[in-house]
Amino acid sequence: MGDPVLATRSLSVRFGGLVAVDDVSLECRRGRLTGLIGPNGAGKTTFIDAVTGFLPNNSKGSVLLEGEEVFGRSPHVLSHAGLTRTWQTLELFDDITVRSNLDVASRRLTVGSALLDYLRPRQRAARVNEVLDLLNLGDIAERQPRELSQGQRKLVGVGRALVAESSKILLLDEPAAGLDKAETDWFGAQLRHLVDQGYTMVLVDHDMGLVLNVCDYIHMLVFGQLTASGTPDDMRNDPEVIAAYLGHSGVEP
Amino acid sequence: MIARLSPAERVSAAALGAVALAWMIGAVLRRELFFDPVLFGLGSGAIIAALAIGLVVAFRASGVINFGHGAIATYVTYVYVSLVGTGQYPVPPIPNPLAPIEGIAGIEIVDFPTFISLGDSMGKAPALAIALATAAVLGLVAHFAIFRPLRYAPVLAKVIASVGIMLFLQAAVVLRFGARAKATEPIFPNDPVEILGTRVGQDRLWVLGTVIVITAGLWMLFRYTRFGIATRAGAENERFTTLLGFNADFGAGVSWVMASVLAGLVGILVAPITGVTPNFFTVLLISSLGAALIGRMSSFVIAAAAGLMLGIVDQELFRLELEWDWIPDIGIRRALPFVVIALAMVARGESLPSRGALTVERLPEAYVPRITRGRMVGYGALLAVAFWLTVFAPFQYRAGMQNSMIGVILALSLVVVTGYVGQISLMQMALAGIGAFSVASFGTQAGMPLPVALPLAVACGVGFGLIAAVPSLRTRGASLAIVTLASGLAMGEIFFSRPGWFGLDRGVKTTDPPELFGVEFGPNSDFIFGDGKIPTGGYGLFLLVVGALCCISVMRLRRSRLGEQMLAVRANERAAAAAGVNVAAIKLSAFAISSFFAGLGGALIAFNLGTYGTDTFGIFASLTVLAFAYLGGISTVGGAITAGTLFSEGIGIVVTNEWVIDVGPYTAYVAGFFLIGTAVYNNEGIDGFQRRQFHQLGGWLGRRFGRGPAVSGESTDVEPPVTPDEPAAASGVSGGGAEAGDG
Ligand SMILES: Nc1ncnc2c1ncn2[C@@H]1O[C@H](COP(=O)(O)OP(=O)(O)OP(=O)(O)O)[C@@H](O)[C@H]1O
Ligand SMILES: [Mg+2]
Repeated sequence: MGDPVLATRSLSVRFGGLVAVDDVSLECRRGRLTGLIGPNGAGKTTFIDAVTGFLPNNSKGSVLLEGEEVFGRSPHVLSHAGLTRTWQTLELFDDITVRSNLDVASRRLTVGSALLDYLRPRQRAARVNEVLDLLNLGDIAERQPRELSQGQRKLVGVGRALVAESSKILLLDEPAAGLDKAETDWFGAQLRHLVDQGYTMVLVDHDMGLVLNVCDYIHMLVFGQLTASGTPDDMRNDPEVIAAYLGHSGVEP
Repeated sequence: MIARLSPAERVSAAALGAVALAWMIGAVLRRELFFDPVLFGLGSGAIIAALAIGLVVAFRASGVINFGHGAIATYVTYVYVSLVGTGQYPVPPIPNPLAPIEGIAGIEIVDFPTFISLGDSMGKAPALAIALATAAVLGLVAHFAIFRPLRYAPVLAKVIASVGIMLFLQAAVVLRFGARAKATEPIFPNDPVEILGTRVGQDRLWVLGTVIVITAGLWMLFRYTRFGIATRAGAENERFTTLLGFNADFGAGVSWVMASVLAGLVGILVAPITGVTPNFFTVLLISSLGAALIGRMSSFVIAAAAGLMLGIVDQELFRLELEWDWIPDIGIRRALPFVVIALAMVARGESLPSRGALTVERLPEAYVPRITRGRMVGYGALLAVAFWLTVFAPFQYRAGMQNSMIGVILALSLVVVTGYVGQISLMQMALAGIGAFSVASFGTQAGMPLPVALPLAVACGVGFGLIAAVPSLRTRGASLAIVTLASGLAMGEIFFSRPGWFGLDRGVKTTDPPELFGVEFGPNSDFIFGDGKIPTGGYGLFLLVVGALCCISVMRLRRSRLGEQMLAVRANERAAAAAGVNVAAIKLSAFAISSFFAGLGGALIAFNLGTYGTDTFGIFASLTVLAFAYLGGISTVGGAITAGTLFSEGIGIVVTNEWVIDVGPYTAYVAGFFLIGTAVYNNEGIDGFQRRQFHQLGGWLGRRFGRGPAVSGESTDVEPPVTPDEPAAASGVSGGGAEAGDG
């Protein structure tokens, strides 16, 4: 029973006439893996975008990070505040090495630290190595993301979100999409492992099997509205969920 | 179409209406002040509008802002003028492939024709037909050879390619027809007519009418025909049009032909009225770019109207400046349109690109400089050769080295901002101009010593660079290119194109040679080594030291954390922001560093030339610097060094002139050609190309002699570039993922 790390109150996003996120209020508690599910176009990615400050002109409502109102702050400020994310479309820095990808995200650069680093370069954060080890990326640290497999690239994306010293909660946008069954299981186990170590995460995914297996608590969005919330067991029997995912391969287990 | 206006746009529309009303009242009360200039302005505005709609056609076809549009107009116009005047059709200046042999052997093997005679002077109609056919061919070549292959390329590559077209065609005109203005017989009747009591040339009204008819025609074509609708969708979403069963590629090709025929037509119709010089239409193009932008590169009607307005405003301000003394003489008239453009773009921009606005773009690799023993030896050897060339070699080599070293510094300014951060800047030479003019003002005019004047001048450059960088925080890609172009122009107009303490003195600016601790070391000062001829080696040596320091500092930047963040911003602004990178701060610092090098380069040019005008720092200079920097390799220090070698009158050119062939007159032409080639077929420039060759050679040698692949080659042995529509093809989903799964 952790306290809420992230909470939204009446968060809404409009694109012209389309309400992509409609008055969503939910909480993500400390040390938990919170799932966010919903059919295509339900507004899951838009929800993450709004929470992390990428839709300043389209969103309204309130976002609380450890109780503090952070709505309206710009993305990099939110990142420093501890709200980090991955992308459905990966969005890695394709032309620098994996290590540099993590390096960039690992520490905040101020005028002073930038100057100092310029004068005495190559003082790299131990934190980066830690995360590289954690995710088994050590061997490919000096490669560029475009040389890697999709699965490895996904991990680099997670690593980049994980590495920030200040990270309080991680929002993962379909990190397992495109992985096969074995990889997905492995990936889910890794996530569970991280959460058990004390990380707080939000997992957006289509794979009901994965979400039901690894999450502690699940919210479902349909057409931008929060239509169901509950533990995996609740969700398995929820008529809303069954309706939304009828015939979806993931529901059977 | 017009209905979807944002509140801000509604407010500005209302304000515009109010101004127009006030103007009408003014026109009734004082016609010479508020009516006549409008009438005259419509004439020049019509030309701007005509070019603007051509730009819109090309953009709708392939999402390219065609900086070469004006040059196409110029080239076609010259073809027409030549046909009408003498019946000679110019052969495109293809360099004589035997020239190197001829140059070395000192003989002439074949006489390459420069013109084909089509009889004596030709009638206007056949000349027009042939000229426009030439335009159509140019459009086809532009589409098939250049922009079609660049469909999925980074905006930077497209901008560079169109700058290449501009340089290439303009140089072709100069090579074939000389730089002087040409006049030709009128096409439209040109006796003046009276409109509401004011006499204006009839021909201008004809041009205006033509522009209105063409605009209306294009509007209908793109609005109501299947072709138009499909082309419009094609630029936005190729798959969608393919689904419609329409070949988007065909549409783009046709549009390119239309755009360049339109450009040619404008040129031919306008030439009799204004006369034409090789860069006439390219200069006008800048206003047209503004007009097209106001029409969001998509509305013919708004673009044409904006073009007319720009013409009117220009004339009106001109008249008002004469009438009212209190208007400060700070070049407002010429700078205003550009300031307006910049503001409009900024108001419309977003501080981070929106989702989906990003494409997968493969930018030139920014190699991390590795310090190995082999490399240190290489750099040492390079420096030794440079030292010898700068100090002991014959004078023409020394001059070449001076130009090259300055070129290196200017190219470095682009490596930082464009190579590392991906922000296109077309104002570098304007910033250099600020350095050059202020070093003269502080040093020579105010008598400050070098250690004060030079930093002050560079600081001025940085200051202006930072101001001009503000728009970069909200624009990117091609829009940023235009904003920086506009900023550069505004800077020139406001800062140094006018007489005054900072500006010109009787058309030129003069700087005394640099002096430190009582020792003068200008290019003409005495120096202990060398043959004593001018330029002496002292200034070159100074440049060599400064240039080497600049190179080292940029290499260190690349290795530093700041440099890493710059590359992150270049790769993906949204992801960088999410990773905690302050994108705005990174961009500003890149512009500041870049302006530092540009301002420094400018001040060094000032000492090098002693006396200089504004042309050295004009837009064409800026475009040329970008061209060379890209050609050399925009994202590496090695590329900047290569660029410096190739620089106008740089050491590479001197060596070629001395040993192979006098390329002098062909420099811009050849540069334009290779620039296009680099943009289309090898975006890493010469430096990147060499690296690849070396690594391939290394790999081959390694396999051949059983040493395994070359050691330092891993970072360059990349897989074939990922196709943009299927990011990271499923290539290794199972392979590598399973590997990770085992771990
Ligand atoms: N920038 C935008 N402008 C306009 N509409 C948008 C924008 N971004 C998203 N939308 C729309 O908002 C709705 C929600 O999209 P979103 O991508 O958030 O859904 P999602 O739940 O993440 O779907 P998926 O499972 O496919 O990733 C969709 O209808 C989408 O078209
Ligand atoms: Mg999504």
